[in-house]
Amino acid sequence: MSLLSIRNLGVGFGQVEAVKSVSFDISEHSTVALVGESGSGKSVTALSILGLLPETATRRGEILYGGKDLLQTPSRELRALRGAEISMIFQEPMSSLNPVFSVGFQVGEALREHLGLSRGEARRRILELFREVGLSDPEVKLGRYPFQLSGGEQQRVMIAMAIACEPKLLIADEPTSALDVTVQKQILDLIADLQRRRRMSMLFITHDLSLVGTIAEQVIVMRQGEIREQGSVAEVFGAPRDDYTRALLACRPPLDRRPARLPTVESLVHAKEERKRGLRGDETVVLEARGLAKRFDRVQAVKGASFKVARGKTLGLVGESGSGKTTLGLLVTRLHAASGGSVLLHGREAAPPKDFKRAIQIVFQNPYASLNPRFSVGQSLTEPMRIHGIGRDEAERRSRAEELLAKVGLPGSALFKYPHEFSGGQRQRIAIARALALGPELVVCDEAVSALDVSIQAQLLNLLQDLQDEYAMSYLFISHDLAVVKYMADEVMVMKDGEIVEMAGSDEIYADPKHPYTRTLLASIPR
Amino acid sequence: MSLWRLAWRRFCRDRVGIVSAAIVLAYVLLAAASAAGWVARDWSNEVGVSYAPPGFLGRDTVQEGLGEVIKAQPRADYGIPDPLGAELADIHANVSGASGRDTRAKTLAFGGDKWGRDVVQKAIKGTETSLVVGLAAAVLATFLGTLFGAAAGYRGGWVDDFFNWLYSVFTSIPYLLLVLAVAAVLDQKGIVTVILVLGLTGWTGIFRLIRAEYLKHRVREYVLAADAIGASNARRVFVHILPNVSHVVLVQLSLHVVLFIKSEVILSFLGFGVGVDTVSWGSMLAEAPSELILGMWWQIAAATAAMALAVTAFSLFTDAVRDALDPRLA
Amino acid sequence: MKYVVRRLWQFVPTLLGVVLLVFFLFNWVGGDPAYILAGKIANPELIENIRRSLGVDQPYWVQLWIFVRQVATGDFGVSWATNERVSQIFATRLGPSLTVLLPLLIISTLLAMAAAMLVAYWRGSLTDRAIMIGCTVGQSISILVYILVFQYVLAYQLGWFPVQGWGGTLGENLLRYAALPVLVGVVVALAPDIRLYRSFFLDEINQDYVRTARAKGLAEGRVMWLHVLRNAAIPIATNVMIQIPGLLAGAFLIERFFSIPGIGREVILAVERSDFPVIKAVTIYVAIATMIINLAADLLYKALDPRVELE
Repeated sequence: MSLLSIRNLGVGFGQVEAVKSVSFDISEHSTVALVGESGSGKSVTALSILGLLPETATRRGEILYGGKDLLQTPSRELRALRGAEISMIFQEPMSSLNPVFSVGFQVGEALREHLGLSRGEARRRILELFREVGLSDPEVKLGRYPFQLSGGEQQRVMIAMAIACEPKLLIADEPTSALDVTVQKQILDLIADLQRRRRMSMLFITHDLSLVGTIAEQVIVMRQGEIREQGSVAEVFGAPRDDYTRALLACRPPLDRRPARLPTVESLVHAKEERKRGLRGDETVVLEARGLAKRFDRVQAVKGASFKVARGKTLGLVGESGSGKTTLGLLVTRLHAASGGSVLLHGREAAPPKDFKRAIQIVFQNPYASLNPRFSVGQSLTEPMRIHGIGRDEAERRSRAEELLAKVGLPGSALFKYPHEFSGGQRQRIAIARALALGPELVVCDEAVSALDVSIQAQLLNLLQDLQDEYAMSYLFISHDLAVVKYMADEVMVMKDGEIVEMAGSDEIYADPKHPYTRTLLASIPR
Repeated sequence: MSLWRLAWRRFCRDRVGIVSAAIVLAYVLLAAASAAGWVARDWSNEVGVSYAPPGFLGRDTVQEGLGEVIKAQPRADYGIPDPLGAELADIHANVSGASGRDTRAKTLAFGGDKWGRDVVQKAIKGTETSLVVGLAAAVLATFLGTLFGAAAGYRGGWVDDFFNWLYSVFTSIPYLLLVLAVAAVLDQKGIVTVILVLGLTGWTGIFRLIRAEYLKHRVREYVLAADAIGASNARRVFVHILPNVSHVVLVQLSLHVVLFIKSEVILSFLGFGVGVDTVSWGSMLAEAPSELILGMWWQIAAATAAMALAVTAFSLFTDAVRDALDPRLA
Repeated sequence: MKYVVRRLWQFVPTLLGVVLLVFFLFNWVGGDPAYILAGKIANPELIENIRRSLGVDQPYWVQLWIFVRQVATGDFGVSWATNERVSQIFATRLGPSLTVLLPLLIISTLLAMAAAMLVAYWRGSLTDRAIMIGCTVGQSISILVYILVFQYVLAYQLGWFPVQGWGGTLGENLLRYAALPVLVGVVVALAPDIRLYRSFFLDEINQDYVRTARAKGLAEGRVMWLHVLRNAAIPIATNVMIQIPGLLAGAFLIERFFSIPGIGREVILAVERSDFPVIKAVTIYVAIATMIINLAADLLYKALDPRVELE
């Protein structure tokens, strides 16, 4: 029995067709996963069900629910449906909740609006809901404001608000993407549990394929506004028919293997060879950290970290947000002054700043923030050369910049363009080229691929690996993504609350984690 | 294609922006021509009769100047012959130009003021005054505000504390009051004084914005990246960050031109602005109260129209520049 | 509470700075007051006497000390023009100023808020653009023109309001004499306020929580007048508070032309007559008022926005 039917839905914003022609059904009591990368049109599809698109959007097609076409329904009737029969939760719980009203008030609004409950009845119901979604101390939380709750708690509140009136369909738009890995798992379990118990249908939207298997029966794969493939999870994941689906499935670094190169959407050639990782123990040490510590006011962000990075090898650093991993990366590059401990470059502590900066470089996470928007690509690349006096004149510097661009796979014409003319992945390439400009020995990659789509990630990881192979550079590879770290690193450090809780070779740490936190972390990875 | 280029393209697509830019340009050219002496050079010549009405009103429907006004008022005789009668008749003849030796115009294009000076020429000269003051003061204030803001925002620490203290001192006193107080003290009038007064007191808004910008950019990753490649502090402030802040500076400059034009008009109106030998829209407005009572509306109309058009055009131009440089989903 | 004490402490260096600035302006840069006071006909003896009585023949640090003492005790001596005690002047002039300012503030804020909300909601429509252009043009006309024209047309020609003047009782003042000044003030304040508040409302309307509120099935009216307004009220309220000190002094033009015996008119008269004690005193008083009002604005901000932590 089909609860919701979408027929030939098309959505446009001005010239751009965000959704071209999408048709699918959601049956009663079942979960459908809508999967795609950014720009695929999955969120727009979801928003059009409840009519939450901006007024500038043009819509075609039909959305059939309860015998009515939702695209033609007058707003008064639509409002009666919203929150009562069809509910939605969003990706960013902090900004999706009104900052100036208490969470109890906001959940209560939904109850009073649709069910007409009195204040007392509503309050009791809210407390029940809070308990159902797993919020501790519900009476206390009732009066709290959103900013006083953690990300996970905020999302639980959003969920409570959405299920308050017992909807038949819950639309979840990337509900866990903004949360830490361990919290993600809790929220996913909660949602799956609620769906089962209340026999709701769910439309679950995500870009993360690994989540789909745990939560959905049907899956729809979207790309650039069209559906590429749909069917049961078993069919689609086991025997994908569409090229794009196959590529998506293959791009993720698998946890049980380490292919010599990651396949990307473009190259569907599976590398059968494996890459070996690990330290022999006799490599030259490029960088050593001894008891590095950093204190901000009253918070000890890094509490005494000691490690060594070998030449031509990658040291992985894993942790969740707030673990101090980014701070540690900045300490290593001396961009933040350490409160304690030291960094030794080739065994020497007091290297003059200019030499130090030539030897140790960094690539940042956000490709949209790490390049100066007002500098042309050529300027960004020649600036380090200009500062350090590399190259005799502008012409020589420019030709070096062209070489760097070629190394990272970009054409020479990019020299005269500006960052905003490039995609996220291309900007990261430029950032990598800039880091290479001084010929460094160690590059800190601070979540360098985390902000990119899966297929672009794969391209960049391959690039980083190629550069390492060619120049024998070392990497300090920082990420929250365990699968990526396992793929890239020879040795892995796990960080929590400013401390390194475990450090081991990358194969060992995944096969046999010793510290309880490491084990929790590994257990949270959806497979 | 740089962001400036993109902004230019966006600006060119904005019809309101183009029109207002054209008007602003026209005003600037007019002011320049006036300054060079090509137009309105003889604005202070008393070419018309006192309170000459505008020509377009039609000669027969309007009283020709003050002479008519005086003539029209009945005088009570009380049956006593007026001992000064002969002299008065003489004066009246002079005032209304009946003696024929008078070469002054009865009507002027947009009327004349109390001394018969052409209102149009005064308005043009006033344009020169206002634009010169507005632009010069804005440049001064923007320069100071940007310099202080960059120093405070980037350095932090005691530099920031010092400038914040200076800022709070200057902003504790409401702007117009401060301007008046300074003007009261600098007893000499003149364009330079006005420019200094406005520029030295008007830097505070710009300071706060630029400081906030530098605070924001100082922790951005591209600045961190500049540090990573070895750029010095000074280089980071002027070569790396400033180009990212210049669009704010530009918009603030434009906004302050408008603010200073309006302030100068008020100052001149109160008599604290330009000297008596210079004309400003403010000094034209200062003559208005007494004129309005007599029913002479053309000088206030001319000054208001000139000023309103200039300020509106400048404001719309500023909005268009701001939208072009930093487009939001409008 | 600790926060308030700390902020009060911070007043001191700022106030000192203002005192220094005022002193620098008036005692150093300002012309020799003796000549001003002596009038047109003066002989050297008279000037010396005046100098001595004012204390300007003393070295600068002594003068500064005298001034600081004046600030501390609130006694700024007498007006050079009217010989009235300066503190007395303020006590009597405050009332009339407030009689005009308070209604002006309340009416203009409420009107501007309502208009801005509607305009923001209908953003991009013809109404929106027409009103915005109207505001832009309205702002470009000098306040002087508004005063002159309104006075001329509504009072002089049509006789709906008294041209100027002030009465004896509060009721009479409020309803009769303050009416036109308040009207002019509201008209002048509306244009910039509507533009500013519109941007505040637009910021809020684009937020995610508005989408959530709609997704819950709330009516548009509730979403706008409860959810959005409550959030936009924060910057609006702080903006209103910050305007107050400016209004105190800025209403001087209105007071001058409508002959309202308020602080603003005193200031203009003092500036015209180079009456230094009055100008100095006004500046100091207004500076203190500004600091107190800024503190009040911050406290109000904290009361309205639960996210704010005052340290």
